[in-house]
Amino acid sequence: MTTSTSSQSLWQRVTAPLSSGPAAYGFLALYVLACSVLLLTNPRTELSTDIVFVLFMLSMLVAYRSRVAGWFKVVLGVVALGVVLPYFGTLNPFYIDVATQAGIFTALALGLNVVVGFAGLLDLGYVAFFAVGAYAWGIFSTPQISEINPAWGPVDPVMFYPFLIIGLILGLITGVLLGLPVLRLRGDYLAIVTLGFGEVIRVVANNLDRPINITNGSQGIRAIERPPLIIVDQIRNLGIVADDNRLYQLFFYYLVLIIVLLTVIVVARLKHSRIGRAWEAIREDEVAAVAQGIPRVRMKLMAFAIGASFAGVMGVVFASKQLFINPPTFDLLRSINILAMVILGGMGSIPGAMLGAIIVTMLDLQILPRIAAVLREAQAAGAPIPRQFDPTQYQRLLFGLLLVVMMIFRPEGLWPDERRREEQHEVEIADEELEADKAAK
Amino acid sequence: MALLEATNITKIFGGLVAVNDVTFTVEPGSIVSVIGPNGAGKTTFFNVLTGIYKPDKGRVVFAGQDITGWRSDQIAALGMRRTFQNIRLFGNMTVLENVLIGMHVHLHASIWSIIFRGRTMVREEAKARNKALELLSFVGIADKRDELAKNLPYGDQRRLEIARAMAGDPKIILLDEPTAGMNPHETAEATQLIRRLRDERGITVILIEHDMRLVMSISERISVLDYGSKIAEGDVQAIRTNPRVIEAYLGKGAAGQAA
Amino acid sequence: MAVDATVAPTTARRSLGEVLGVVFGPVGQLLAFIVGSAASLSLIVVVLALILSPAQPDMMQRVLIILPQVIIDGLVRGFLFATIALGYTMVYGVLEFINFAHGEIFMIGGVVGATVSFLLVSAGTLESVPPLVFVLLVILVAMAFCGILAVTVERIAYRPLRNAPRLVPLISAIGMSLILQDLARLVMTSTPLGFNARYQTPNFGQPIQLFTMEVGERSVPVILIPRDLIFIVAATIMLVVLNYVVNATKLGKAIRATAQDMPTASLMGIDVNRIIALTFLIGGALGGAAGALFGLRIGTVNPYMGLIPGLKAFTAAVLGGIGNITGAMVGGVVLGFLEAFVAAYLSIFTAGNFSGAAYADVAAFSILILLLIFRPSGLLGEATTQKV
Ligand SMILES: Nc1ncnc2c1ncn2[C@@H]1O[C@H](COP(=O)(O)OP(=O)(O)OP(=O)(O)O)[C@@H](O)[C@H]1O
Ligand SMILES: [Mg+2]
Repeated sequence: MTTSTSSQSLWQRVTAPLSSGPAAYGFLALYVLACSVLLLTNPRTELSTDIVFVLFMLSMLVAYRSRVAGWFKVVLGVVALGVVLPYFGTLNPFYIDVATQAGIFTALALGLNVVVGFAGLLDLGYVAFFAVGAYAWGIFSTPQISEINPAWGPVDPVMFYPFLIIGLILGLITGVLLGLPVLRLRGDYLAIVTLGFGEVIRVVANNLDRPINITNGSQGIRAIERPPLIIVDQIRNLGIVADDNRLYQLFFYYLVLIIVLLTVIVVARLKHSRIGRAWEAIREDEVAAVAQGIPRVRMKLMAFAIGASFAGVMGVVFASKQLFINPPTFDLLRSINILAMVILGGMGSIPGAMLGAIIVTMLDLQILPRIAAVLREAQAAGAPIPRQFDPTQYQRLLFGLLLVVMMIFRPEGLWPDERRREEQHEVEIADEELEADKAAK
Repeated sequence: MALLEATNITKIFGGLVAVNDVTFTVEPGSIVSVIGPNGAGKTTFFNVLTGIYKPDKGRVVFAGQDITGWRSDQIAALGMRRTFQNIRLFGNMTVLENVLIGMHVHLHASIWSIIFRGRTMVREEAKARNKALELLSFVGIADKRDELAKNLPYGDQRRLEIARAMAGDPKIILLDEPTAGMNPHETAEATQLIRRLRDERGITVILIEHDMRLVMSISERISVLDYGSKIAEGDVQAIRTNPRVIEAYLGKGAAGQAA
Repeated sequence: MAVDATVAPTTARRSLGEVLGVVFGPVGQLLAFIVGSAASLSLIVVVLALILSPAQPDMMQRVLIILPQVIIDGLVRGFLFATIALGYTMVYGVLEFINFAHGEIFMIGGVVGATVSFLLVSAGTLESVPPLVFVLLVILVAMAFCGILAVTVERIAYRPLRNAPRLVPLISAIGMSLILQDLARLVMTSTPLGFNARYQTPNFGQPIQLFTMEVGERSVPVILIPRDLIFIVAATIMLVVLNYVVNATKLGKAIRATAQDMPTASLMGIDVNRIIALTFLIGGALGGAAGALFGLRIGTVNPYMGLIPGLKAFTAAVLGGIGNITGAMVGGVVLGFLEAFVAAYLSIFTAGNFSGAAYADVAAFSILILLLIFRPSGLLGEATTQKV
């Protein structure tokens, strides 16, 4: 205990001057500038770029955390995420795809964080709501809709924008429908029921090609529409040659960025409102919360439905970006994936959820493949590594270890919510006291 | 008309009759006490009144409404608040936030006005904060408003629980052993505070207490539970001399000596 | 606890009759539920067939022909869920905690069984092993391995978190379940077992013809394949033994006392840590045996096969009233029958539009949700009031 506090104060002594006052402005500007220059001068896909890229993404969280004027944070954010990163993306499309993916999962993690972190409801079927949004756009934007009723045809791709709202509403409705019966129950049943629900949604998607072909079964839905790009012709008129795929990459990047920003604002405001306080009270002590007049089921339902609606929106975006969805896209592993992000970052912590989403996406898309490549080289050089062993195929092991290790050693996460941190450590302290008592006897 | 009327309340756990056919009436503006030996069913009775347990038999009428079978939060919203025998604060929230939670039913900002930071929401929050600070100074811990509730000393936690209960503008507050574990000085202060609740704020108080000095000095009426049943009721004088009460507290034979 | 304490002197020496009573009482209850659910579900499908038969004249015949086989299938599924559900319910009874990784213990039981079988095949001795010896061997090895594994998991991933907020050990258990899945996969794909490991057995002999049934002009034989018989017999024996251990031994009493009130049990001199470890040992051994038998019955095992049976077994435990040992068996059997009937009859009644096999899972989870809404305390559970 004592060692950790003293090391913390050392850490604070180093970081305190850099996180507030004039030094902070200089430090942040320099940090972002250095990363930007490094990125833009070396856009190849390799380990050093990965590291710089991660540092670059982290700079945003550091800025978010430090005590500098709001306008400065905005300027930094706009420059880094609005200009440098997309421009870097035109040099190396792989990274902009990673950033977009990370953005999608950031929004999902923020949504799940409302459910798990704020309200303390363990939802293991979160991806079901994501699937609902994705299938909604997948079915309505493709000829699949004619399978349901030959008289209907696909909607205009421009309907993508209203469908973002429809996805939100569908997520909300599904969340309420599932939540109403199960949120009355004690917390740990919820985990199982939502897990079962996630499986049910997947089974239904897999089998609802008969009697009416609604989901096209295990074949999935192909050629999902993307929204028309509004300003493309103007760009081409300027004489810039850009192929559609590149432009769509940028489009989705900006779209996801905007959605993430909105999500952060909404989530942060909810957290610091009467609603967020009520969630926290329920999480801490249900009986006491209800005795203050807080309607337990209604507040839980609200958290559950709000989380689900974020997933619904992102489902629409995801379907349109991927162009193809099928039932395995929405399996249990993906729910666990998002849960791992929330837990890694810290339950209830908004920057934590974002950090978790970035780290886990990076692990998935960059770090594991890279380790795999290293292992293959080592194997070729004769190291005793089983031939079938491919780290990219062992995500369960990775997430499993991550969950267990975090729960045992750092349940409050890497970037804990200030108050939550104490709640979890308290238990350990109580444990230590108990042990000491025992020893004394 | 009585503010609270509980008739023939019975609560059974498995084979144990924790509260047995208890009838109990509270007039508005009074301070009444419920006493009885350990395990007599006092807390269980409170839990039935506040809707945490559903009674197996009986009826509760509060502020003119039959609240039997209502949910706990509905009863709280109607104006019945309580404290807990084993303090149940939101330990990881600040003192001020704890009081704000108590105000939940009086805050109405819609989800839209929260998301868009509407004027109503901002104003409502500011008002709530001021009111919470006022309540904290009423109970005397305003200077600790930003501390985490769990870091407060024991006596202050009890005060905070009272402030949180007051935050809902209740008609009645149920206090479950508010001075348990306090030293005589703290007990005296708590007694003052309970009196001021009624005298300055007009809140009716029901009190469970083991400290007989406190009970006798403050109560207008006293009810005595023993093994779940109400064995006596009356003013201080009547209870002090009631042989069944003395027997319940001191055991058989004691009644004769005391009389 | 209070009840136990007062009756303790009289139960110190129980007569044989009493012991038989506490052991076979639950078994009788189980039997009643088996007969009851089989009969009522049969009645339902027959009535449905009657309603539909004016439109489809051969409906009744199609329904009746498969009915005995469906009942046998239901029984097998039921015993499967029951043996796994016991692990969930015992742990929940003691720790109030859903041991998420229990489905994986079951899966590893299957893998261990397949490994034993593989080793015998490699040694060229499989065909010469008497079937009964083979069955005993795989069950005992799987029980030993999985029992110890379950205890190890508890020691590593749950015990350090025993006093943490409820979500914390639950998340750790989910993590453990993922770890076990991939560890099993790693081992299997790095060895000749492979991802889909074959589970060979000695020849168990011909299917047993129980009786023939006259349906219209046809006479249909009702058969019981030996693997099903093995499963049913082995599961029955395990359930009876468990009932004996829990209801008629000192150890069982310690387990029940710990489940009822851990602090008091510990004050009475019961070593709570030991009891918890034992609970995991027994639950894990039962789960492992179920896995070994299940793999033996379907002939192949894979590292992801634990999730769905695990979930359903949990459903069964809730159905019976979580924490209640007899309840877990009853819940397992009821759920098994329900599933077997849905799997067999859904597509018959919907003219092939809904595949019964696929929607059987949906049926199981729908039951879970309905149940939790209308009777969260389960079939045999008692409603309890949380102490405030
Ligand atoms: N939820 C419950 N389940 C089972 N028994 C309960 C429950 N709550 C209370 N009891 C029992 O009911 C009886 C009355 O308890 P209660 O807490 O109401 O007593 P009390 O008068 O408040 O005692 P004390 O002065 O010690 O606080 C006790 O025997 C207690 O064990
Ligand atoms: Mg009490």
